[in-house]
Order: sequence, then structure tokens, then C-alpha cells
Amino acid sequence: MSLRAAIIGYGKMGQIRHRAMERHGGFEVVAACDTHTDFDAGIPLMTDPAKVYDYDPDVIFCCVPNMMIPDTVCEALSRGKHVFSEKPPGRNSADVRRMQEAEATHPELVLKFGFNHRFHDAIESALQLIEGGTMGDLYFMRGVYGKAGGADYAKNWRNDPEQSGGGILIDQGIHMLDLFLMFADRFTDVQSFVQRKFWTDVPVEDNAFALMKNPKGVVASLHSSATQWQHRFTLELYTHGGFISVNGILSASGTYGTEVLNVALNRLDKDGNPIPNPESQEIRFTEDRSWDKEIAEFHAAVTKGTPIRCGTSQQALDVMSLVEQIYAADADWSSGLAARSVKAV
Amino acid sequence: MYTPVFIDDLPDVSSISNRKSELYRLTRARALADLLLDETANWQERACPGCGQDRSQSGNFSQAMVPFHRCSHCNTIYAARVPDQARLEALRTRLLAEAGNTETSAAAGSRREFEFVSILNWIRLTEARTATSAGGLLPHVLDYRFCSESPAWPGAVERLGKNRDWRFMPLDAKAAAGNFADLRDQLQANPPEAVLLNTEMDRVADPAGLLRVIRANAPRGTLVFVATSCADGLEYEILGADSPSFVPLDRLNIFSVKGFETLARELGYEPLEISTPGRLDAVILQRYFTEIENADVPFWSGFFREADKDRLRDLQILLQRSLRSGVMRFVLKT
Repeated sequence: MSLRAAIIGYGKMGQIRHRAMERHGGFEVVAACDTHTDFDAGIPLMTDPAKVYDYDPDVIFCCVPNMMIPDTVCEALSRGKHVFSEKPPGRNSADVRRMQEAEATHPELVLKFGFNHRFHDAIESALQLIEGGTMGDLYFMRGVYGKAGGADYAKNWRNDPEQSGGGILIDQGIHMLDLFLMFADRFTDVQSFVQRKFWTDVPVEDNAFALMKNPKGVVASLHSSATQWQHRFTLELYTHGGFISVNGILSASGTYGTEVLNVALNRLDKDGNPIPNPESQEIRFTEDRSWDKEIAEFHAAVTKGTPIRCGTSQQALDVMSLVEQIYAADADWSSGLAARSVKAV
Repeated sequence: MYTPVFIDDLPDVSSISNRKSELYRLTRARALADLLLDETANWQERACPGCGQDRSQSGNFSQAMVPFHRCSHCNTIYAARVPDQARLEALRTRLLAEAGNTETSAAAGSRREFEFVSILNWIRLTEARTATSAGGLLPHVLDYRFCSESPAWPGAVERLGKNRDWRFMPLDAKAAAGNFADLRDQLQANPPEAVLLNTEMDRVADPAGLLRVIRANAPRGTLVFVATSCADGLEYEILGADSPSFVPLDRLNIFSVKGFETLARELGYEPLEISTPGRLDAVILQRYFTEIENADVPFWSGFFREADKDRLRDLQILLQRSLRSGVMRFVLKT
């Protein structure tokens, strides 16, 4: 079944989604909307998002900045359209709840958020090993995800809290938190340090450190950084029976290196104690198929009614709530944030 | 298809020097000489056991007692003529009996168990990865002949392979009678989910025959774990027949990655995973170039004479990543 698709927000992400739909097939992209339309995209371009509905789309791809996401998603749902939306799902948990309410009034429609890291091959392999029981119970997770700010860091909408809701944590760290939640379900204890070190005149964090624990005692530590001059993605999962690590992540920018999964099962001595430094198995992934797999899941959900596994609105709410908990757990940061909000008003 | 790399500490040179003792090599050489002198032995000429290319198109690898060729198409190294399987099995059985308990020292036992745990963990991780794609878990593993050359480690299986039925099937010359009949009967009577062939492909006269018996008698979807020597390994590329691992009676077939994949696909197997997890190429080569002062291979002799342990380890990992170490592992699906 072919779906008529319209893309609202035809920047980098909108174009990535367009190409993924073309690779997948089963989509006909009928229109796109953006602030710039002075180029040939091979499809009708417009600046007014309401105009895309003139092309009678079945699905809307919402690829706009965070502050526009709730309105765009709710509007699409109210018009009876299935929606695929980029992350972060708005600026805060209230935004997600608003979208959930709109979703609840249209249970026949699909709403999916683009947390594509769950679809990376190395991450899927790690989940398969954990869920299959081979590795034993999960003990702890460590995640580092960081990049070197970016061009026009101070001017970028991503670093304007009114538009984005926060800094590097909500923009990039949210992926790692989403993965933590995938492995550990939910966290009840959260501690954090949130900092601005390099871009001190920009009102969002450039580093966030968080330590979390779930009800089963699984501990996760996160470092999300915009001053990670050497780009880095590292996720480690230590279990009763060994460990898994994912180093590097295939991304659109290509700056986080090859995606490498390392997995080791402990060697035990005769008393059953682990011998240090077990043999590890390294598997390298060189092709980013996450975009295609996300699109395939969305297409199947719309055309066949297959349940959404990754990127549900509940998962979006869980991760956004965790982001808020991390901001709130640093008293210095949260009080300063409040002060900045008052100043902004 | 997965191409994993197995990262581990490298053994040091002293452990290599004991790996294939001179006594072991001489015993094998004597047995081979006996076989060649035995006028009742039936020798079969053959083409490349990997890709089937005619022998006349391949270069000689070694002429020592038995001519070996290196296939110009797939790079497999193979004995140009082989005795029949029944005679080989009788010979191996005799050698095993004569060897007695030479491998039962604590150090040898520990090393062997170390290697066995590596095999076991390989199966466990493959099992986890293929649980959905290949159709299920692997509770029953048939270990064909591996233990004929090594002590058994039921303790290790118990500790690490919980709830797994590990069935050892040692070399039995009478039961097999040269046609793998014992294997056929076992596969039919107690179908396993996995079969392990560790080092066996090196030693059989008819590797295609062995794989045919498994495919014909194991249920569809059975995983076959094959660990064998690899002709693409740097050790064989540089040292050729001088490689200490090249013991003719134990290496009738040294498949290349391409050669073995070709054979497996031709027989109807689906390769799921290929790796070359050898850990010894770099260490063996360093020992060779430091012991033989006049050995001169452009670039490599200097490299190995000067390399420290870190550099050797880096090279070994590079070889693994490039599918260029002297040992390879395949996971095949029937």
C-alpha cells in the first residue's frame, strides 16, 4: 500500500526522512514545507504548513524545531493524519502530554517519534543479547555521548531554551537516556550535575552528568557533552555474565566513527570466579540502517496495524520526564534556570 | 553475514615454542612415511577441495613426502593425493593410543581448556544472535571428534553451558569405517541443534563427504560450527611449508576463506558467520625471524625483529579484522 506523505520541516532531517522513504518504497512524498523554498526538491515546496494538507497526505513527517512540534503533531492528528515526528518530542513533558491527549482522541492513528538509536545494528544486537538471557542480569550502564558544540552554537535555535527546552542533554543526551530506559525500564533515583563551561553566555547547559538507579538496583551513569572535542558515543553494559560495549555510532555527520560492538562472556575459574579480561568478540557495523528500519516500522504500523515498538508516545514521555528530573536534580542549575526564565519574562 | 573479531591477550613466545613439539612433528612425519611405504594403502589424486579447480593450474606449496598445492583460484592449500579415510582414521587412532597422556600436564590442560572455553563462548554468543533469525536455541551440541585429540572438559560445559547437552563423539575408527557412518547414525538417532567440527576439516581426506553427511542427516536449520586452519593467514602466506603449524598429516586441507565458503555454499549450506580468530600468526612469525638470522623477507623480517608485544598485538588484531589470520571459524546453517 502506498502512502501519500508530506514533510513539514524540510531541513537536514526532513531530507533524510525523504530519502529513507524513497529507499523503502510504499511512500509517495507529495509536498514539503520549510522556511526556504528556493531550491528544487523535486516535490512542491511551500512555506505555510497548512498548505501541505491541500495535497491530501495520509501521513505527516514532522521535522520542525522542538517548540513547533506539539502544534504540528496535534494539528496533523486532528486532521486524521498518521504522524512521524522527530525527537526531542517538544520541549518538556507537558508538550508530550498534550500530544498524547491528541493521540488518545484518535486511537486509529499512528504516532511515532524518531528515536533512531534503538534501531542501530549494534544497539539491536546488544538488546538481543541482554533479552536472550545469555549475559545474565544487568548490573550497570555507562554512557558517554558528546560532540564539539557546533557551528553558530550561540545562535542556533537548539541552544535557545525558549525554542528547544534545553541544551546538549535534551538535544543529544536524550538518545542515550532513551537507550538506558530501553534496557532498564525506568529510574526512580536521579542525581546530576549540569554545567555551562565553554559557552557561558549561552543560556543552556553544555555538559550534563547524571547518575540514576532503577527499582531493581541497575545503576546508569550518563555524560552528555557539547565540549567533547573528540566526538564520542560509548555505551557499556555490565552484567552478571560479562559485558557489552558499543563504541561509535553511525550518524548522518559521520563523525562518531564506525559502530563497534564488543561482547565478552566471562571465563570462570574452577571456583566459579570470573578471570579478568575475558576474550571479547568485536563486530563492526559500517552501514547505518537505522533510518530505513524506522521508516519500515512506521509504514508497517500504518498499513498493517503492527504495534510501534520504538518511539511510542509513552517512551517519549518517559524520556522527557527523565530529562526534567536530571535538570531538577542539580539544585544550582535548576534554581539558575528559574532565575533565567524570570529574566527572560 | 557477521565477521566478528576475537580479541584476547597474545600468548608469549615461550608458549609457542612448546606448541608443536619436535617430537610431535617427528611422530607425525614417521606415521606419514609409514603410510607412504605401505603398498596396500590406496591414495587418491584430487583437485582443490575448496573450489574444485584442477591441480594443474595451481602452484606447488611443498614437495615434502606428499606434494601440496596452493590453489591459484581460491588460495586453499591441499595435499594433492590423500589416503582413504578408513586408513587415516586407523592411523589417527593408533597415534592417539601411542601418545597416551602426553597432553595431561597441568599447563597443557589449562591451555586446552582455555581454547575450549573460547569455542564454547563462541557458540553461546552465536546462539544468542541467531535465536530469532535461525529459529531457536541450541540446547544439544554434538561435538564431533574434537575431544579425540584433547581432554574432555565436562566441568567447563557444566559451569558455562548451563542446561546444555554437550555430546562428545570421539574418533572411533571401527564405528566410522571411513564413511562417517557413526556420525550419520548419531545425527539420525539424536538430532542436535548444533554440530561442532573443531580442527576436523584439516585432517579428513574428504571434507566435502563429511559436510555432506551432516547436511543429509541433520535437521534443516541445524548450525554447524567449523573451526579450522586458514590458508589466508599471514603465517602461511609468509612461511609457507616452513610454518610450524604445517604438519602434513594434520593439515591435509588448509582452506582459504573463499575456498571453504565456496565448498559450503556448493553443498547447500548458508554461511552465517566468518571469522579468523587466530592469535598466533604474529608471535610465530616473530619467533621465526628472530631464530633464523638469515631469513629475509622484504619489510616483514625487519618488522618482526623489531616489534614489541603491543605492535604484535595490533598486527594480530588487524589480521583478524582483515580475515588474514591462520585459523578460521565458520557458522553454517543446514
